[in-house]
Amino acid sequence: MATQQDTNRGSAVRHRHRVEGPQKHVVAFIFSIVLTLIAFAAVAAGGVNSSFTIILLVVMAVLQVIIQLAYWMHMKDKGHMIPIIFMAGGFFVAFTAVITALYWVWW
Amino acid sequence: MAHAHSVKRHKGLMDWLTTVDHKKIGILYLLAGAFFFGIGGIEALMIRWQLIKPLNDFVTAQQFNELITMHGTTMIFLGVMPIIFALMNAVVPLQIGARDVAFPFLNSLGFWTFLFGGILLNLSWVMGGAPDAGWTAYTPLSTVAYSGTHGVDFYTIGLQIAGLGTLIGGINFLATIITMRAPGMSFMRMPMFTWTIFITSAIILFAFPAITVGLVLLSFDRILGANFFEVGQGGSPVLWEHIFWIFGHPEVYILILPAFGVISEVIPTFARKRLFGYSSMVFATILIAFLGFMVWAHHMFTTGMGPVANALFSISTMLIAVPTGIKIFNWLFTLWGGQIRFTAANLYATGFIPTFVMGGVTGVMLAAAPADYQFHDTYFVVAHFHYVIVGGLVLGIFSGLHYWWPKMFGRILNETIGKIAFWFFIIGFHLTFFVQHFLGLLGMQRRIFTYLPNQGFDTLNLVSTVGAFLMGVGVLIFLYNVVITSMRPADAANDPWEDGRTLEWSIPSPPPEYNFKQTPLVRGIDAYWKEKMAGHTEMTPAEPVGDIHMPSASILPFVMSVGIFIAGLGFMYHYYWIVAGGLGILFVCMAIRSLYDDKGWHIHPEDQVETNRKGVKA
Repeated sequence: MATQQDTNRGSAVRHRHRVEGPQKHVVAFIFSIVLTLIAFAAVAAGGVNSSFTIILLVVMAVLQVIIQLAYWMHMKDKGHMIPIIFMAGGFFVAFTAVITALYWVWW
Repeated sequence: MAHAHSVKRHKGLMDWLTTVDHKKIGILYLLAGAFFFGIGGIEALMIRWQLIKPLNDFVTAQQFNELITMHGTTMIFLGVMPIIFALMNAVVPLQIGARDVAFPFLNSLGFWTFLFGGILLNLSWVMGGAPDAGWTAYTPLSTVAYSGTHGVDFYTIGLQIAGLGTLIGGINFLATIITMRAPGMSFMRMPMFTWTIFITSAIILFAFPAITVGLVLLSFDRILGANFFEVGQGGSPVLWEHIFWIFGHPEVYILILPAFGVISEVIPTFARKRLFGYSSMVFATILIAFLGFMVWAHHMFTTGMGPVANALFSISTMLIAVPTGIKIFNWLFTLWGGQIRFTAANLYATGFIPTFVMGGVTGVMLAAAPADYQFHDTYFVVAHFHYVIVGGLVLGIFSGLHYWWPKMFGRILNETIGKIAFWFFIIGFHLTFFVQHFLGLLGMQRRIFTYLPNQGFDTLNLVSTVGAFLMGVGVLIFLYNVVITSMRPADAANDPWEDGRTLEWSIPSPPPEYNFKQTPLVRGIDAYWKEKMAGHTEMTPAEPVGDIHMPSASILPFVMSVGIFIAGLGFMYHYYWIVAGGLGILFVCMAIRSLYDDKGWHIHPEDQVETNRKGVKA
């Protein structure tokens, strides 16, 4: 009985994926390319030393990560709450350690 | 054919070397953990014997440093953590109604890497001197300049290998608990022990990478001449302290949360009441894990972090007392009005509560940064962490062992002898460590190998040593209990305590290889108790009787661990061709594992009935 329901749910997810997938993935793909192009263009135009470029690059990188996780790693889909929680936890710990080393140990 | 009957079943020693059955791996963890616990205990007794009187010369200062380092490292990484893993393996799959863990092969690999890491670490005693820089291995004490033997190399490489096993185990149990719960067992219906193991595994996942990185950096400094912790080359010794405690503080919650879980199972069973405030217990467990990651710098108040950092870490540390307090009150309210039976397991559990509270209170005292300048590195700290680790975790472990022994081995430990052991242990424990609070306040530093007479230390140290030997007697009585119990017939009933509440008590003791003939349907918290109250004698099955798929036994995890062990030993002595050989063994095994498609085997219904009858005869 339970197995039956699981199978149904699984096929429903697959079905929705098949119907909705392509358009959104094409948009996400174009968005990823554009973000990469902006980053390349910014470096080609201004050089990495300007603080504006660095901030821009970081913002582009964060957006890129979000798109990659949400669309290509399926974090936007149902049933991904546990991976999201654990990735957030790992990010939190890693971020703490890096901040500690960068801004605390070597002020 | 996939259904071929010619499954190769190993016998005797080979069975234990190749097993991927979580119940057998649990027993292996228990044996190995008990072995290292014994070594750590002997080291503890030697430390106390040295300190029994002023100016004692039982061991030299160097030997004393090695003893304290190995006592701490062995007890934490090789003694109590494996025993926690033993309980995890023995109980968690049964509590969630699963037939095994998610990755049985990895489970075996985790055990063998832990064992070989532990053996490597302890080989240091006979290979030129044990590590001598304290279990925290603070730089620069642990650098080549101040610790010239290979001791600390054994520490870094041995812990690295053992840590690999712990990390593998943690990930395995996360996957098991997330994906393999029986139908109907939502997260908020999981038994409390499973919850704490789930959270513990998550802490392992996040905390162990920090020590892995730290140990890599330290071994690069020592073996390859890097400069991560060398001030003269732009490194920072304080960096090691940060890395160590970013791991080290979550580590103490890795230790204590499973004990909380054990107590949360034992007390409801023997009070014949459901756990008071189940959801607040879950919440408190998660909160402790979360806060546990932002308090690490309270170990470093005296490193000169400045008043702002000290104040912040004081506050976050004191905050942990809130969820812990919730737990304490929940246990008290569970006991309140219950029909309490003081079995040995419940004695340990009820002994745990006041003892752990005492350790918690000194924890809040230590969290006050200004006062910590006075307490730091004195016996007050030693007393505090032994109160939470021995008075908390070890009492919890003994409680859990008494409670689940029939489920693991099919025999109930002798209750009378168990109670005698309890009284020796707890009286000895308080004698040993209660007086150490006062030794610390009087100014006795930790880790000193001797002291002068007539400073007020003499009597208290004598009392402490006497207490330590009483604890030793308690442990010996427990071992005697194990021996005489193992000579009795294995006749424990499915539910030997008669008031079992969770799924593990609905199946034979010890359970058949496949645990559940039919996966049970879970209809509420305390699934088995719910069925009992509905007048049923067994769980409602969630599937028809059918072939049960089983994982194949494999010698590969053992061989892989031997490979890692050889590589580690070679790296320490700069024999890189040995490293290549060891890693070669590892990679060949990985290739075999990847290329050979092992589909496992099946137990057919007719064989299941037979196995079940054998179990039920008891």
